[in-house]
Amino acid sequence: MIMLEIRGLKVNFCLEQKIVPVLNGVDLDLAHGETLVLAGESGSGKTITALAVSRILPRNAKITSGTIKFNGQDILSLDEASLTGLRGKEIAYIFQEPVAYLNPLFTIGNQIMETIILHQQKNKNAAYAEALQLLNLVKIKDPERVIGDYPHQLSGGMNQRAFLAMALACKPRLLIADEPTTALDVTIEAEILKLLLDLKKDLGFSLLFITHNLSIAQRIADRIAIMYQGKIVEEGRRDKIFNSPQHLHTRQLLSAYERIGKI
Amino acid sequence: MKNKTLLFGITIIIFFSLIAILAPLISPYEPSVIDQNNLLVAPDSRHLLGTDTLGRDLLSRIIYGSRISLSVGLIAVGIATLIGLFFGSLAGYYGGFIDSLIMRFVDIMLCFPTFYLILAVVAILGPSIFNIMIIIGLTSWMGPARLIRGEFLSLKEREFIQAETAIGASHSRIILRHLIPNAIGPVLVNATLGIAGAILLESGLSFLGLGVQPPTASWGNILIESKSTLGVAWWITVFPGMAILITILGFNLIAEGLKKELG
Repeated sequence: MIMLEIRGLKVNFCLEQKIVPVLNGVDLDLAHGETLVLAGESGSGKTITALAVSRILPRNAKITSGTIKFNGQDILSLDEASLTGLRGKEIAYIFQEPVAYLNPLFTIGNQIMETIILHQQKNKNAAYAEALQLLNLVKIKDPERVIGDYPHQLSGGMNQRAFLAMALACKPRLLIADEPTTALDVTIEAEILKLLLDLKKDLGFSLLFITHNLSIAQRIADRIAIMYQGKIVEEGRRDKIFNSPQHLHTRQLLSAYERIGKI
Repeated sequence: MKNKTLLFGITIIIFFSLIAILAPLISPYEPSVIDQNNLLVAPDSRHLLGTDTLGRDLLSRIIYGSRISLSVGLIAVGIATLIGLFFGSLAGYYGGFIDSLIMRFVDIMLCFPTFYLILAVVAILGPSIFNIMIIIGLTSWMGPARLIRGEFLSLKEREFIQAETAIGASHSRIILRHLIPNAIGPVLVNATLGIAGAILLESGLSFLGLGVQPPTASWGNILIESKSTLGVAWWITVFPGMAILITILGFNLIAEGLKKELG
C-alpha cells in the first residue's frame, strides 16, 4: 500500500532577480510501515523534498509542477486549514539541530502539550499527563524534571528525544526525519537511531529518513533513494543499492563511504 | 539583583507611582484651593515647596500633577505599542504587498512633524487629558511598528518557527504565542523610553496651553504659570522641572537596565 506518492515534483527558488531550480522532477514512493532513506550530497534537494511533503517550504520556494499524494489526498490542492490539520497530526518532522527547533521561551512540557492541544480535544491536565507519558516513551531519564526544563538546559541528545516526543504526540502516520542525528555525537546517534526504529515498530509509522551518511542508510533502510542535483538518480532495496549500484553518483557516494570506512 | 541601573530606575518610578496613587492621603493641601493671604510664599515649614501666584500649595499641585503626567505617559505608550505591535507583526510576518503597504503608511506618518500634528488636532478636538493620551498614542506607534517588523523579519526565519508550522500551528498562533513573546524585549525597552517621551510631550503641550487645562494640575501647566514669575519665585519653575527630570531619568534608567537584562 502506497502512503506517499510524489510525481514529477519541481521546485524553484525565487531569488532577487533570478529563478534557481532546486528540484527537477522528483518521483518518490513510500509504502505503509516502510523506512525509506533519502541520501545524497548537500544541496541535492533532500530537505526541500521533505519540506514539500507538508508544504512547509521557505517562502521564496515555489512548487511549479508535480503532484504529492498522501493517503490518496492531493497535498498541493489542500487549503491552509486542512494543511494545519494534517501537519503534526498525520505528518510529523524531526530536524537536525533540536535546540534551534525548540522555542527557547517555553519549557519542554509546554511545547509537547502544544502539539497535543492543537490536534486533540484535551484539557491542560490531560495534555500534561500525556506529555509525561511521551517523555517516558522516548526514554528520557527523569521525565518529571525534564518536562519543566527549558531547551537550553538539556543536552543535544535529550533535546532530540524531547523533540521526537513532540513529533510523536499525535501518533502520526508518517515521520520525516531530516538528518536528526547529524548534530549529535556517535554514541548518542546510535541511541537515537535505535529508539527511532523501536518506536517505529511499536507505533507503526512510516519513516522518511534523510541523511548524507550511508552507514546510517545501511543500518536502518528498507529502501534507499539517491538524490543528485534535484533528482532521484537511483532507487531500490537496500541490498541492491549497496551490492550493485547502477548510477555513477551512487558509486561515487559508496566509494567515498568505503574510503572513510578504511581510515 | 545585580543590575543597579534597572533597580535604581524602578525605585524612582515606584516612588513617583506611590505618590500618584496616594495623592489624596499625602498632599498637605487641596491642589486648587486659593489662599490670598499666602501668595508666592517661598518654601518654608508650612509650604514645603512654597506657593504659586494664587497662593496654591506647590507640593500638593506637583503631587496631583504626577497622576496626570504618569497616566498620560503610560496610556499613550500603551496605545502606541499596541498599534505598533499590530501593524509591525502583520508587516513583518506576511511580508510582500502587506509589508510594503504598511511600511509606506508608516513612512507617511513619520513625515508629519508630530508635535504640530498634535497641535492641530488638539486645536480641533479641544484640549483634554483624554484627547491628549489618544493623540500622543496615535502619532507615536511608528517606532514600535518598525522595531517589531524588524524583529519578526529575523525571527520568522528561525528554525523553531518552522517547527511550529510543521506541528500544525496556524499563522495567528505562531504570531501571538511564538513570535511576539520572542520579540517583546526590545519593544519593552522602546516603550519605557516612549513613556519618558510622552511625559515630555504632555508637559510641552501643557506649557503651550494646549494640554491639561487649569485648574487641574499637571507638571507642564505648573511650569507655564511659573514663566511670568521666574525672576521672583524660582521654586515654581525648579520643583516641577525637577519632578519631570527625575521621572524621565527613572524611565530612561529602566530602559537602559532592561536593555542590559534582555540582551
